[in-house]
Amino acid sequence: MFELGTFVVSIITFLILFWLIKHFGFEPLAKMLEQRRVHIETQISEAEKSRAEAEALLAEQRRLLEEARQEAKRLLESAQARADEQARQIVAEAQAEAQRILEEGRQVIERERAEALSAVLDRVSQLTVELAAQLLREHVTPQVHEEMLQEAEKRLGELVC
Amino acid sequence: MPAFPTLFRGTAFAINLTTIAMMVLTGLVVLIVMRLAVRRLDMRHPRGLQNVIEWIADFAATTARDAMPSEKAARSILPLAMVMLVYLFVANWLGLIATIELVVKKPVPWLGLTPDVLEQAHGRVALFDSPTANMSMTLGLAIMVWLMSHARGLRHPREWAKHFLSPTPWVLPLTIIEEITNPLTHGMRLFGNIFAGEALMGVILGIPLIFGWVPVGLPLLLIWLFYSAFVSTIQAYVFTILMCLYIGNKSFDEGHAH
Repeated sequence: MFELGTFVVSIITFLILFWLIKHFGFEPLAKMLEQRRVHIETQISEAEKSRAEAEALLAEQRRLLEEARQEAKRLLESAQARADEQARQIVAEAQAEAQRILEEGRQVIERERAEALSAVLDRVSQLTVELAAQLLREHVTPQVHEEMLQEAEKRLGELVC
Repeated sequence: MPAFPTLFRGTAFAINLTTIAMMVLTGLVVLIVMRLAVRRLDMRHPRGLQNVIEWIADFAATTARDAMPSEKAARSILPLAMVMLVYLFVANWLGLIATIELVVKKPVPWLGLTPDVLEQAHGRVALFDSPTANMSMTLGLAIMVWLMSHARGLRHPREWAKHFLSPTPWVLPLTIIEEITNPLTHGMRLFGNIFAGEALMGVILGIPLIFGWVPVGLPLLLIWLFYSAFVSTIQAYVFTILMCLYIGNKSFDEGHAH
């Protein structure tokens, strides 16, 4: 059965209750939900920002690392080249030194050989002269002496000429 | 049918006191539950009742977004949608949990319990009942929604006038009839479902015990109780979503499809 009084009063009652429930029950909840939404949004945007930053930093680090690697490679290569050059130089110098020492040794040997030979020759000629003098003293007649002198003169002349 | 304590019975402005009292009680229950839920709100670690209330708010928000043309309109209807959903849910369930009736022998004229009214109700006076089992109350809510929808529509009077003629002017009679039938069915549907549930429950409870102690009505009662619980929940949702739709149809904010 429709009752106008109930109808009107229930509308008013509901509106009052709605206002009360909304004010004391719903609004704190809505505020918290909004707060959470804002919080999540800021968190997400901050996370995105820091991720972008991290990526930029990482790229920078990679670039620096690559540069350092290139630099190290370049340094290594130049050092190697220099070392090679030095080694070659040292070897060349050592070879030259060895050559010089060898040459000196050879000259010394040559000189000593020549000295020894001349000493031997001296001795031989001395002995020859002694032996010849001995022989001449015992066997040579003035005639033969004369012939030998002539022969010696002739030889000396040949030697001189 | 039991009699209800009524002010101004027999006049044009009769007020059913049980219904109004039950509305207030329902409102207090909702208010207390929501106060308990929002007592220790925690943005990071929702616990217990807060989870439930957040789930309901989310559900109401989804319902409002589906029915409303723009996010702004959905946001404006959200408090009403959520309160209506919870309020009707509690209101429908109150009558399932208990109905209290008093047998009154002596007439109480100032509450409208005159001898002939009591005689018609066999002396039974309802004190605790679903407020939504009262036609005047549900129609009141429906008309309130109807008024709200038109108040919202009249913010843009040109669109509001035009929407009666859409899609063609020929539908004008239909849209006018619709303006009458929509609030009528909106209110009567809720009333009918809840009232029928309670009425049949009363009938089942009235089945006499066989041999004085075998409750043959018990299985029937349980089945009907479960079904009524289901209907009560669904009707709270249906009333809320229809409210969103009716108000949404007359929201001519920017971003409206037509």
